[in-house]
Amino acid sequence: MRIGKSWIVAKKDMAEFKTNKYIIFTILLMPTIMGVIVPISYFLPIQFFAEEDSGPPLDIKLTTNWNLDNHTVYRGNYINASFQNMEIFSSVIEASLVRNSTLRFVVVSNSILDNVSLEYSIITNSNIYNLKSREGTVVKDSSIVTEESSERKEITLTMLNFLLFFYMIIPAVIPTFVASYSFVGEKNNRSLEPLLATPTTDLELLTGKMLSIFVVTMAATWVSYVISTVLVNTLAFPLLGHYPLPNALWIIGFLALAPLFCILSISLNVMVSSKVTDVRASQQIGGLIVLPVLVFVFLTFAGPAFTSAWMMGIYCVIFLVIDVAVVFLSTKVFRREEILTRWK
Amino acid sequence: MIRMENLTRTFGEVVAVEGLTLEVDEGEVFGFIGPNGAGKTTTTRMLCCLIKPTYGTAFVKGNEIGKEPDALNIRRIVGLLPEAPGLYERLSSYKNLDFFAQLYDVPAVKRRERIKELLEMLGMWKRRDEPVNTFSKGMKQKIAISRALVHDPEILFLDEPTAGLDPRAAKTVRDFLSELKQEGRTIFLNTHNLVEAERLCDRVGVINTKLIAIGSPKELKERFWGRTTVVQLKKLSPNVVAAVKALPFAKNVRTEDNSLLIDLAKPEDENSEVAEVIIRSGGEIQFMSELKHTLEEVYLELIGG
Repeated sequence: MRIGKSWIVAKKDMAEFKTNKYIIFTILLMPTIMGVIVPISYFLPIQFFAEEDSGPPLDIKLTTNWNLDNHTVYRGNYINASFQNMEIFSSVIEASLVRNSTLRFVVVSNSILDNVSLEYSIITNSNIYNLKSREGTVVKDSSIVTEESSERKEITLTMLNFLLFFYMIIPAVIPTFVASYSFVGEKNNRSLEPLLATPTTDLELLTGKMLSIFVVTMAATWVSYVISTVLVNTLAFPLLGHYPLPNALWIIGFLALAPLFCILSISLNVMVSSKVTDVRASQQIGGLIVLPVLVFVFLTFAGPAFTSAWMMGIYCVIFLVIDVAVVFLSTKVFRREEILTRWK
Repeated sequence: MIRMENLTRTFGEVVAVEGLTLEVDEGEVFGFIGPNGAGKTTTTRMLCCLIKPTYGTAFVKGNEIGKEPDALNIRRIVGLLPEAPGLYERLSSYKNLDFFAQLYDVPAVKRRERIKELLEMLGMWKRRDEPVNTFSKGMKQKIAISRALVHDPEILFLDEPTAGLDPRAAKTVRDFLSELKQEGRTIFLNTHNLVEAERLCDRVGVINTKLIAIGSPKELKERFWGRTTVVQLKKLSPNVVAAVKALPFAKNVRTEDNSLLIDLAKPEDENSEVAEVIIRSGGEIQFMSELKHTLEEVYLELIGG
C-alpha cells in the first residue's frame, strides 16, 4: 500500500470538509460542548461545595530528623520532629508531623496533624486530618481535612474518570456526520467512479477517506481534551489541592481509546454508507448503530476500566481486536466491484 | 490496442453483456452504440478495470483486465469520462484536476502546465479558481473531459460525452474530440448520438447485450442497403421501369413517386448504362444521385425501431 496515495485522497477530502458548513459546525460544536460545557456543569457545583471547607490541603513537605513516641513533653521548641502517641504541653512545634496525640497550649505551624485533640492551641499553615476535638483552639490559614471532604474528593476523582466516557463520545459521533458526507455525498455526486478509475488500490482509497475523517475527528477530540484539562484543573484544584489532569486514565483514554473508538465508528459508517443513498439517513442510521454499540460495550467494561490504567489498557486491547474485525469488514464493502454494482 | 474475447458480464440472472469479441486498433475512434441497458457502460467499466467480467476476458495494450498488477497498469494508461461528470462540486476546477493529476502520478512540475493547457483549450482557464458548483452543465462536462485527459492517457473511454448538453456546448465538446482524434489517440466512445458517431468514429459497434454489427459507418450502411442509385424522372412510365429491370446488373428496382431506385454493385461503372436505357425508353431524367442512408437507419434496422 502506498500511503502517499492515501494522503492525496485525505487532503482532498479535508479540503472539501473545509467548505462544508455542516461539517465545520459539527467539528466546532463538539469541542465546545464537551470541552467547555461538560466540565463546567460537572465541576462548578463541586467547587461551590468545596468553598465551605477550610480549603484544600496545603503542600507541606516535611523532613523529620528525630522521632518521639509515647512521651509527654512540656515547654519545648521542636522543628522537623515526628510525634506519635504523645501529650504535648505549652510548646512550639514547626515543620513537624504529629499523630495520635493531644496538644494543649501549643503553637503549631507548617506541620501535619493527624488524629489529634487540640485544646487552647494555635495552628497556622498546617494540614489537619481526622481532627478529634478543637476546644479553644484557633486554626488559621490551615486545611482541616474531614472524612466527609475526603469522601468528596474520592467522588470527585471517580467522577473525573467517569467524565472520560463523555469524551469518548466525540470520536464516536463526529465520524457519523463526516463519513456520511464523505462516502454518501461522493456516491450521490457520482464522483466515486472517476476516483475508482485512477491507478490506486481499493485499500489506498479507503485508507485515504478514513484518514481524512480520522484526522478531523481526532483534532476535535484532542482540542476538547486540552480545553477540558485546563478547565477541570482550574475548577477541581480548590477541592483537591492539586491539578488532577492529565492522569494515566485520561492519557490512555485520549491517546489510545479515542483513536480506537474513532476507527470503529468510521468503519461502521463505511458499511452504513454502502446501504443508504441519503446523507441524513446515513447520519441517523450511523448514529443508531454506532452509539448503542459503543455504549453497550463501554458499560460492559466501564466499571473496571475506570479503576486502573492496567484495566484501561486491557480495555484498549479489546477494542483493538474489535477494530481490526470491523475494519476488515469495511474493506470487504469498499471494493470497486461492490461500490459500482451493489452500493445503493 | 483493445481486444475483447467472449467478454460477458451478468448481474445475478440479468445478462448485461454477452460474448463480446472485437478489437480496437491503436489510434482508432471506436463508437459503441446501442439502446439504454445495452451494456455499453458495463463494457466500459470492465475495460477500465472497475468491474470484473463473469466470463471471457479483454486485453488493453497487452494487459489483461481483472488481474493485478495488469488492472493497475490499465488504469494508468486509460482516461475515463463517465456518464455523469462526477466532479467535486465544492472545489475549484483547478483543484479537481490537480487532485486527479496527483493520483495519476503526474509530476508536480508538469501538473500546472498540463492543467493550464487543457483548461485553455476548453476556454476554462480564467475560471480555474471558481468552485465547480457555480458552473453550467456544459462547463462541468469540459472539466470532466479535462480530468479524463489530465494524465495524457493513451486510451480514452468516453461515456455519452455530449448527453444533456445544449447544442453549442455539444459542438464544443465534439470539436474537441475531433482534435483528439487528429492527435491519433485511441478513443472508445459510447453514444446515443448517431450523428456524432458517424462524424467521429472510424468504426462503430452496435450492441444490444450482444454485439449485433460492427464496421465503419459506411460499411454498415452498405451491408444493409448496398448502394442505391436514385433516378428522378419527369414522368415515370412502365416502359422505363421494364427496361431498367431488364438490365442484368440492376437489383431490386423499385419506384417512389416519379423516381426509380436501383440497387447497383458498382454504380460508378453502371450508372451511365442505366441512364442510356432510360433515355432510350423515352424517359426524361431530371436528377441522378446516390441514395444516402444514415447510421440512424442502420441502428433502427438493427435494434428494431
